[in-house]
Amino acid sequence: MKRTWNTDRRSFLRGAAGALVPLPFLNVMEASAKNLAGEVESPVRFMTLFKPNGVHPPSWNINGGSELDFRMSPLMAPFEKHKEDLLILDNMGDFGFSSHANSARRFLSGRSDNTKAASMDQVIADKIGGDTPQRSLELTTEGLFTNQIGCSYISYDQKGDPIPRESDPQLVFDRLFRNPMSDPRRRKEMSSLLDRVDDDARALLRRTGREDSETLDEYFTVLRETEKRLENIGQSATAPKVDFSKLERPPVAGNLDEQVETMLDLVALAMWTDQTRCISYMLGNSNSRMIFDFLGVKEQHHYLSHFFRNFTRENIDGLLKISLWHMEKFDYLLTKLKSYKDHDGTLLDNSVVLFGSGMGHSDNHTAQRIPIVLAGGGRGKLKTGRYLRYSQNQDLSRLHLSLMQQFGVDAESYGGATAPLPGLDGGEFEEYRERPFDTWTKIGKGQITVQGRLRMSDNLDEAKVFYVDVKDKPPVRVEIAFNDFHRFNFPYHVGTPIQLKGDSSQKDGQLVMTKIIELKSIFGKSKPGTRGG
Amino acid sequence: MVGASEGGAFEADIQPFLKTHCLKCHGGEKVKGEVDFSKIKTIADARADAELWETVSFVLEDREMPPEDEPQPTDGERAEILKWYEEEFVTGVESKPASYKPRRLSAPEYRNTMHSLFGFPLEVNIVEAEQTVVEKSLVMKLLPTDPPGESGFANDTHAASISTNIWDQYSYLADFALEQLFSPDRKTELEGLVGSSIKEQLSAEQAQVFAANFMERAFRRPAQSELMRQINENLEEKEGRALVDSLKLEMKRILMSPAFLYRGHLMESDGEGGAQAVDDYELAERLSYFLWEDMPDEGLRKAVANGGLKETEAFEAEIDRMLSSPKSRTLAESFGVQWLLLEQIEDPRKDPTNTYALRSQPIDFLHYLFTEDRPVIELIDSKTTFANNVTSKYYPKDNKQLGKFIKPRGIERQIFANRKMTLENNPERGGIITMPGVLTMNKGAILRGTWMLRQILGEHLGEPPPDIPPIKSSPKGQNLSFRERFEQHRADKSCALCHDKIDPLGFALEEYNDQGGLIGKSQTKKKNSPAEPTKGIDSSGVMPDGTKFQNYAELKKILLTSQRESIVRNVVEKMLAYGLCRKLERNDRPTVDALTSQILEKNGTWRDLIHGIAKSVPFREVVFQ
Repeated sequence: MKRTWNTDRRSFLRGAAGALVPLPFLNVMEASAKNLAGEVESPVRFMTLFKPNGVHPPSWNINGGSELDFRMSPLMAPFEKHKEDLLILDNMGDFGFSSHANSARRFLSGRSDNTKAASMDQVIADKIGGDTPQRSLELTTEGLFTNQIGCSYISYDQKGDPIPRESDPQLVFDRLFRNPMSDPRRRKEMSSLLDRVDDDARALLRRTGREDSETLDEYFTVLRETEKRLENIGQSATAPKVDFSKLERPPVAGNLDEQVETMLDLVALAMWTDQTRCISYMLGNSNSRMIFDFLGVKEQHHYLSHFFRNFTRENIDGLLKISLWHMEKFDYLLTKLKSYKDHDGTLLDNSVVLFGSGMGHSDNHTAQRIPIVLAGGGRGKLKTGRYLRYSQNQDLSRLHLSLMQQFGVDAESYGGATAPLPGLDGGEFEEYRERPFDTWTKIGKGQITVQGRLRMSDNLDEAKVFYVDVKDKPPVRVEIAFNDFHRFNFPYHVGTPIQLKGDSSQKDGQLVMTKIIELKSIFGKSKPGTRGG
Repeated sequence: MVGASEGGAFEADIQPFLKTHCLKCHGGEKVKGEVDFSKIKTIADARADAELWETVSFVLEDREMPPEDEPQPTDGERAEILKWYEEEFVTGVESKPASYKPRRLSAPEYRNTMHSLFGFPLEVNIVEAEQTVVEKSLVMKLLPTDPPGESGFANDTHAASISTNIWDQYSYLADFALEQLFSPDRKTELEGLVGSSIKEQLSAEQAQVFAANFMERAFRRPAQSELMRQINENLEEKEGRALVDSLKLEMKRILMSPAFLYRGHLMESDGEGGAQAVDDYELAERLSYFLWEDMPDEGLRKAVANGGLKETEAFEAEIDRMLSSPKSRTLAESFGVQWLLLEQIEDPRKDPTNTYALRSQPIDFLHYLFTEDRPVIELIDSKTTFANNVTSKYYPKDNKQLGKFIKPRGIERQIFANRKMTLENNPERGGIITMPGVLTMNKGAILRGTWMLRQILGEHLGEPPPDIPPIKSSPKGQNLSFRERFEQHRADKSCALCHDKIDPLGFALEEYNDQGGLIGKSQTKKKNSPAEPTKGIDSSGVMPDGTKFQNYAELKKILLTSQRESIVRNVVEKMLAYGLCRKLERNDRPTVDALTSQILEKNGTWRDLIHGIAKSVPFREVVFQ
């Protein structure tokens, strides 16, 4: 029988009028919102959402604009409507080539060499978890990638060991809402069951007529303990005021899209009902092998993300479709969090969401200009509606230290950072500023040297082509093989002025550089950081 | 009756001997090598640990104990103890079944049983990506891993008691299975179990028939009438949703009952108190969990119903049918892996594709030995092996038989199944010991020797003492090899006790490096040059009995001849313990002896051994206490 997913899921969590609240909660919402956790103030939640495989930088980066006056990039379009709730960070990361595993570690551990410490989400969970039924949830979409195990984890425990993740929304739902301790109906069922099996086990004892009942003694002990646990829950003053038994278990997802949306539904529900206050969720492994056939994309994501090496127009289109889908899921989460009333605001107002990746350019794995977006004010922790482009490349560890401190963690350093990242709460920070520079072209015999700003082509038909812009002249087109692209780390310098020397030719009056001899950065470093960043 | 004496000799001769010669180090103040004689106070205590006394007899016979610098017993005294051992634990022992103790299903047994019972596996439901691994089985994901029991095998769950955590997981798994069964997706399975088609909704009558059927299969024997009466009562006159809810509760009751979760709560005592034959249901269950790690299937249940297990021929046919089923792979995957510690095989670079290749090779080989009627001793030397694209490099020339392994486009690493191969050019690779994964698993001569001694020859070695000094580096001016330096290091008598046995075995494999390749042979590059031993490597040795060998090829001959009995005996003991799901006891000795000589006499096969175990006294009989 073919399931009609849409009806099922909508009746699970959406009212017929499209109200984005769980149906059974409509009537209890107002009442319970005030004292759901028995606290006057709402707790502030922390949630991270990891996007695999970096981005196609020209589609992601915001070029130009300022802190309060900026235009969001094409890839940000899906969540543009949340602009006032966002804090978009730029110039995050300063590292040359990152493996996928390192990029996953970097995302929540600051630097890839911070391997003996808890990731920041876990540090925060320890601080804010309180006595919620689940201290934290670690979720994912994809199975383990065992060839490079680090690709599959962003959350790490105190020793720096990976924390197992759950990918099945049904199991997450069951863990949250269908254990006998959280669900009165299950409790009742368990009581009836205990009565029956107790009788049956006693009958066995009589039947075998055996003195030896060691195993049955153990069994009876477990029955008694379970009974005791049920009684204690029944008397507890902090028993949940929300009747979880009315929630329907989400059906099995038909495709990835449904699976992820269901999981995000559960994320919001879990945080709103205060079952947990800290969640990390990977939209895929850092080298995600997912196939997005429901988007009409047949190649796997990781293959497409190497868009320079595997360049075809079809491939880059596929890659962008996938990236847009990730952005849509971020939008889905934010919309969901806003739909829940939580004390005097929305759930998003009382949360901090960290969305992003561990690398920037997805083919070259450059860990610089890493996509990082914060959302939700966290009740005054962040000042949103802004775009912060730092004057210098920043390790993610500074961001992490800031967030940890905002959540009240008593830490003075984290992952090598000894000072927090300024500006998140509206304080001062050093903003990126253009500096004037000359542009020129020197044409030699079969060689040219050009000085100007490097950019990637924004024409997707030639997405692997770069240009160096020269004032009042046509730009120099850079059409190079992967070897030069990678060796000189072009993605690292994109958007900045450089001096470039190389073999060139004229094609239809256009200067084309085909082989690089030298690349010099005018203001910055010619090479990015290389140690553990 | 039991043994030659009723404890008289133990008190008169053995205890004074222990006091004079043993207790100083083994009991009292010190407990060396985990041997503590102070705990053995009566003949019953002594009889409870046959393994210990076997070791005692060996060390006395070989004059390994007491240590040279301690007062020595006279030859007469030694002989007295050995005679007592023979009478008490070998010749004087009568074959007797062990007492019947229920035990909980192990996690894999539970997984397979639930699968068979419901007709579908309990699995997680998520969208899968290429080249990633998900623990598909919900059971294995939720239930804690069973620790090995006293027998060394995880199916010996006697000591792994149930806990509230495990109870919660069972409850969750039962709910999960039941919810699935009554979902529209599983209508076919449900109708299959009910035995008739369901029109619109289940009728109370259908539910009652179904419950009876389900109980019979779940309990692995005919339904219990009193329980069935109660269940029928609870289902009566219900319909629709209420009926299904009641049915689910009654089914969960069955799934949470000790009669399902444990084995051994239902067979009844004949009241005589002595040995009694297990009934046919118990026998079928024993066979099924031994060979399949699963509950009896339809065929086996029919055989029981027809009285088929009572006839030797039909019983044998049933075993052969089970061995030829794909389910029998569990013998290699559970028994083989646990016995030979194959779980520890890992690629030195931790590459999962390579690890899979190295680990699956011995498993495929064992499966072949177990199910294709191969002689037991082929464990040590065989013409047949299995390899895939990763392991083929270890078999120059012969690997041509494997054909090509072609990866699909865009896939960086592909795991290929092993293919069968006949060893024409690489005879040294025949048998389990020189399989690349096994060589990789144990790095260095000492660990390799220890593994061979324990796992293959079945010697019970104590743990090394905690206070061993590090091996000295080569003195100036001398360029000593590790082997030479190690020989100086272990010159100490108490070290030599074990190392005289370990080292020759381990150093015989010196020609193989930590990656399992032959040293000096660049096997990865010159695929077509047959492997030859390298000069300059000392892989010679002397066995404790003085037999000399030059290299592993010669040691292998020794293993196949003078060590053959030890190997076969070890195999028999290990498989019998696995089949019985318990540690072997004193009264199992005659069974082990008989099976060992059967295999030795006619170059018996693994199939012969499995048949022998299934017909043995400890498998077929029990004592109720």
